[in-house]
Amino acid sequence: MFFRLYVYSMKQTVRQKLIMFWSLIFPIILGTLFRVAFGEFLEEEVIFHQIPVAYVAEEGASPAFAETLKSLEDDGGLLEIIETDGKKAESLLKEEKVEGIFYNRDSGTEEGEVTLTVTRQEMSQSILSSILEQYQRVFHTMGNISRENPAGIEAAAKVIGQQRQYLMEGSITDTPKSVMTDYFYALLAMDCLMGVSMGLQIAVKFKANLSNLAVRRVVSGTSRFGMLMPDLAARITIQFLCTLCSVCYLTYVMKISLGNKFALLLLTTLVGSIVGIFMGFFIGAIGTYKESLKEGVCVCCMMFSSFLSGLMVGGMYRFLETHAPLVNRINPASLIVKSLYSLNIYEGYERYTQSMASLLTIAVLLGAGAFAMIRRERYASI
Amino acid sequence: MAEHVIQIENLVKRYKELVALDHLNLTVEEGEVFGLLGPNGSGKTTVISCILALLQFDKGSVRVFGKEMQPDSYDIKRQIGVVLQNVAVFEELTVQENIDYFCGLYIKDKRERKQCVEEAVHFSGLEDFRKFYPKKLSGGLLRRLNIACGIAHKPKLIILDEPTVAVDPQSRNRILEGIQKLNQEGATIIYTSHYMEEVEQICTRIAILDKGRCVATGTKEELKAMIKTGEKIHLEIWELKPEHLEELRRLRHVYQVDYREGMLEIRCSGGKHNLVHILDYLARQEISFGRVYSELPTLNDVFLEITGKELRDSAD
Repeated sequence: MFFRLYVYSMKQTVRQKLIMFWSLIFPIILGTLFRVAFGEFLEEEVIFHQIPVAYVAEEGASPAFAETLKSLEDDGGLLEIIETDGKKAESLLKEEKVEGIFYNRDSGTEEGEVTLTVTRQEMSQSILSSILEQYQRVFHTMGNISRENPAGIEAAAKVIGQQRQYLMEGSITDTPKSVMTDYFYALLAMDCLMGVSMGLQIAVKFKANLSNLAVRRVVSGTSRFGMLMPDLAARITIQFLCTLCSVCYLTYVMKISLGNKFALLLLTTLVGSIVGIFMGFFIGAIGTYKESLKEGVCVCCMMFSSFLSGLMVGGMYRFLETHAPLVNRINPASLIVKSLYSLNIYEGYERYTQSMASLLTIAVLLGAGAFAMIRRERYASI
Repeated sequence: MAEHVIQIENLVKRYKELVALDHLNLTVEEGEVFGLLGPNGSGKTTVISCILALLQFDKGSVRVFGKEMQPDSYDIKRQIGVVLQNVAVFEELTVQENIDYFCGLYIKDKRERKQCVEEAVHFSGLEDFRKFYPKKLSGGLLRRLNIACGIAHKPKLIILDEPTVAVDPQSRNRILEGIQKLNQEGATIIYTSHYMEEVEQICTRIAILDKGRCVATGTKEELKAMIKTGEKIHLEIWELKPEHLEELRRLRHVYQVDYREGMLEIRCSGGKHNLVHILDYLARQEISFGRVYSELPTLNDVFLEITGKELRDSAD
């Protein structure tokens, strides 16, 4: 039963030209336009430059951070350090000669009180922020270990060594070479969320107050759950395949570097597709509003979510991260972008896992909410 | 005592202030072709939606095959076939795929389903259109596909809600013959329509709904016996004075006389030789006339007399 309904659901969806255009063709067209528009930038900026950063150290400040920075500068490394005083550093930052300022103040601890000042939120600033964050985390961990398990201090030191190695090598070699790549991440996020139309179709064909087809289906001898599962599985499969086509097109035809963790990138788009489908399904399941109205709401949600993730305005994600971080935590497109970004920027999978967990949570909430609204539904009017 | 296929007791359904079903009582027996008649807004589709557990209702009960009908009464639903007023098929699936899809919601066994689909295709005369998409079908073929999707699984109870709307006479005839055939094969049928001649042709028992109430139930003959009109006599007369109309009204058994555009319609409440008495009067008054014909009351007369002649334009 499941497989038969799954195949029919696939046939129905694939034969809907409009839905296939938006899910399959439109992202490819948009990707091509992006490539044409950013072509020169992408080609010019593939050569990685050191990040110039000012370093202002108070007297008596911990030397540990200065050593870390130095190790990141050596041998044409990640950073170009300019040691200076506060006033001069601010002036350099204002003139955009440095990407940020590290202040190291005397806090009376070995770790010191290190802060970062930036005026923009772009790739370089993100890397500087990541360096500081990792430094603080390592020191915090070391402090805990020395207090609670002094014997493990040697192993911990080894970890620090590995992380420092990552900052020097990993970031440079594996990082997407241009901020422009963010647009393509946002494009993939939008592609995943294009599934809202397919999700809405599922709800429309389940709500007897929205379509005659739904009436015939809900009065049939098969449970709603039995019809819903194949529908969802088929739509998710198709949306995922559409996104896969976009990824392959961008990578192999447009030659856009989306990172080298291809399997995880596909996993992200799969989860993103699930969120897109469930978002449409949820919107479709709400109330007794007309299908055309729900279609409008779906498109608005998808486009607004994509806008907030930086599809139309570059740097939107980072702007929100500074001014309204909660939006980035709950906006599906931002979470997809963050997952893809984390895969290729950060060592380890902590941020990636967090974003994926958030996406899955959203998917579960939307799916459960929608199903709760349609199960055993009796209508006040049809 | 034999179980009713459908038993509706004291059903009340309100849409805010509007009472769509007003303490409705109805029973459908096994093997019947049960006609549900009523003007627009009388509650026909609402009754059907309540039977199918689609609509919430305020009061009363609906039992199908002896069991309370609920949205998850799948054991009951498997025995019901529904043909909706509006065509409900997948635009993206072919004729054969549509029938197979809906049949598959009831029948899991592949071989059995295949046979049912074949029979439904043959039943609805869609053999030459198996690979066609619905948008390529004419109105009549589309209606036949709609019916095929509803009956392919050979249900015991078939509910047809105005299945012949906007269908040409040939297709309509084929659909009606098909419904009678399904009934002969053992299916109980509930049939709603605005076409009185259809209901008269196929229904064994009829209920007339008006303003959410069942105002009359019975066989065609029983319903016709309920109304005042026993005979309608039509005469083509070119000129008739008001005093003649008044005298005609006074004839025995005549209860209504209408004269419009040269056509005189006289309704008699019963009795014999009404036409002879009328012709005799016209001869005595030396009134010349053309065509003359007499007819017995139709279901249409029953319907109009019971529900009234005012226009009903609210949604059903």
